[in-house]
Amino acid sequence: MTLLDERKTAEEEAVSPKLERRARRRESWRGFFHAAPAYVYLTFFFVLPLLIIFVFSFASRSNTGKPLLENWNLDSWTRLVDPLVRTIAVRSLTMAIANTVLCLIIAYPFAYWIATRAKQRTRTLLLIAVLIPFWSNFLVRTYAWRMLLDSDGYITQFGELTGLWGRMLFTQPAVFIGLVYGYLPFMVLPLYAALERMDWGLVEAGRDLYASGSKAFRKITLPLSKPGIIAGSILVFIPSLGAYVTPDILGGAKTNLLGNLIVTQFQAARNWPFGSALSGAILIVMLVATMIYFRTGGRTI
Amino acid sequence: MTSAVSLHAVTKRFGEDIIAVDDVDLQIEDGEFFSLLGPSGCGKTTTLRMVAGLEFPTEGSVRIYDEEMGLRPPNKRPVNTVFQSYALFPHMDVAGNVGFGLKMQKFDESDIRRRVGEAIDLVRLTGLERRSPKELSGGQQQRVALARALVNSPKVLLLDEPLGALDLKLRQTMQFELKDIQHEVGITFIYVTHDQGEALTMSDRIGVMKEGRLAQIGSPEDVYESPENLFVAGFVGEMCLLPAVVADPGSVTLNGGEVIRARTSSPRGEPVILTIRPEKLHIYSTAAEAPPDRNALKGSIVRRTFYGESMVYEVQVGLSDTIDVRVENVPGMRRWDVGDQVIIDFHPQAAMALEE
Repeated sequence: MTLLDERKTAEEEAVSPKLERRARRRESWRGFFHAAPAYVYLTFFFVLPLLIIFVFSFASRSNTGKPLLENWNLDSWTRLVDPLVRTIAVRSLTMAIANTVLCLIIAYPFAYWIATRAKQRTRTLLLIAVLIPFWSNFLVRTYAWRMLLDSDGYITQFGELTGLWGRMLFTQPAVFIGLVYGYLPFMVLPLYAALERMDWGLVEAGRDLYASGSKAFRKITLPLSKPGIIAGSILVFIPSLGAYVTPDILGGAKTNLLGNLIVTQFQAARNWPFGSALSGAILIVMLVATMIYFRTGGRTI
Repeated sequence: MTSAVSLHAVTKRFGEDIIAVDDVDLQIEDGEFFSLLGPSGCGKTTTLRMVAGLEFPTEGSVRIYDEEMGLRPPNKRPVNTVFQSYALFPHMDVAGNVGFGLKMQKFDESDIRRRVGEAIDLVRLTGLERRSPKELSGGQQQRVALARALVNSPKVLLLDEPLGALDLKLRQTMQFELKDIQHEVGITFIYVTHDQGEALTMSDRIGVMKEGRLAQIGSPEDVYESPENLFVAGFVGEMCLLPAVVADPGSVTLNGGEVIRARTSSPRGEPVILTIRPEKLHIYSTAAEAPPDRNALKGSIVRRTFYGESMVYEVQVGLSDTIDVRVENVPGMRRWDVGDQVIIDFHPQAAMALEE
């Protein structure tokens, strides 16, 4: 009997519970193999570095700043309640929340407008327009803002001409403008996805049931686009809480945020344990905050 | 007397070249169950949406109890709609859905609770107030949609193919229930459907639509027994069509030369289509068996189909024309086989000649 014949008989055999179970197990293994590259990658380049950071946060440092894997202690973690850290944390948190809220306010009408265009072509073009900035490097774009906000930039010149504002570079508003600019697309896309999925027949039903246009929006469109609002808020809030490039380039040395503080610990201050503790703490806070946000927003995301 | 809804010269165009509704005039009377019947794309739903205010006419006037609606938005019209896909709010429970309209009209909390309870009782969903629409069957969702519209006591209830998504048995039950509910609440119903059976069983009057125009308006019996044109004849109920030429007043000549007595108002020599309902035909084996003084056509059976309540024979008459004959399945029903030579017999009143 050749191999081919053997397989043939196996296929022609009637299915028994044992055979069915075996087939299902094979299916499940196949699924695992498809996911294996991602597992391996994430283990080496995400889980391990995280563990290293966690371990280092309990380490000590030599006089020259070399991290020493001995004299394990909690010093770095206790330093987190330092007033300076608290000031910076509050500033970062305020900035991240304000950024999220402003992005939401700007992005919602825009996403709504795109999602309600009748022609698919128009919608695609508008979405591409949202994504175009990603074609150039984030660093380059941030430096471009530096030009705009500097003394001879258009924005500064316009502000001085009208007497409304002066040079904004290296101020908190400059950082804020940069953050909103940088994270706006991350709010537009999930909002668009949620609104595009919307059954507009429900809004019609609301209008038919005596809801005015604005009432129908508040009672129907807004609650039904909640998954998009939640997804967008998370996508904007989390990276802006740890933002580093924008505050560094547009805020100069004046606006210190958590991201800059951590970088300083690893570079200039040569205090790896404290930098690691800071990173770990932010990670934990974000995880908890995200979980709470998901819970309140329902499970439909 | 004023009409409940009256459309005058209403036209709706989408873009430059799509005419959804074309110069429609229509009066729907107070308390009437009126159906708009037609194939998909005939403009029946657009007509309904223009009454609801979800669409505005390009030209013409829509009046509800003598009030010009103009460009009035849906929330300011005394009508409510039961949507085809129900359009229940997924983020509200049954009571929330039913009470939505009253809440928007700012009724008292206690008033809303009482009326929502009554509406839910009316559609027999008592006890399901706290369920989410997702947890309801199709038929139950349909009832919620009905209660949600009725609770507002609209002057006119608009129904857009409300039973389309239900299975056959449930659809039949709901047809009777809808009719009963209409009796109970006594308001005008405008019912859009593509199902001629539904329109026939439920309506006081039917408006048959074709390509944005009203092909005929009349009672179910008028529309079924005396279609005014070939479209209505073919769309409402089953119909056999035979090409013919008018011979004398009251008779036509078929392609094969047979002269048949039929209802006709066309002049002599005019080419017409003879229309006959399959259930109004009888089959006999020989001419001698058939009753005298009626129409008789020779033919041979080419197909036999069993439908349960009846048997349908496809009979070839002349060279190329075929007629369906429906024979009721009663004890002692005679059977013929494919290839049998038979005589088809029918009353002259059963055949009607219509111009193309």
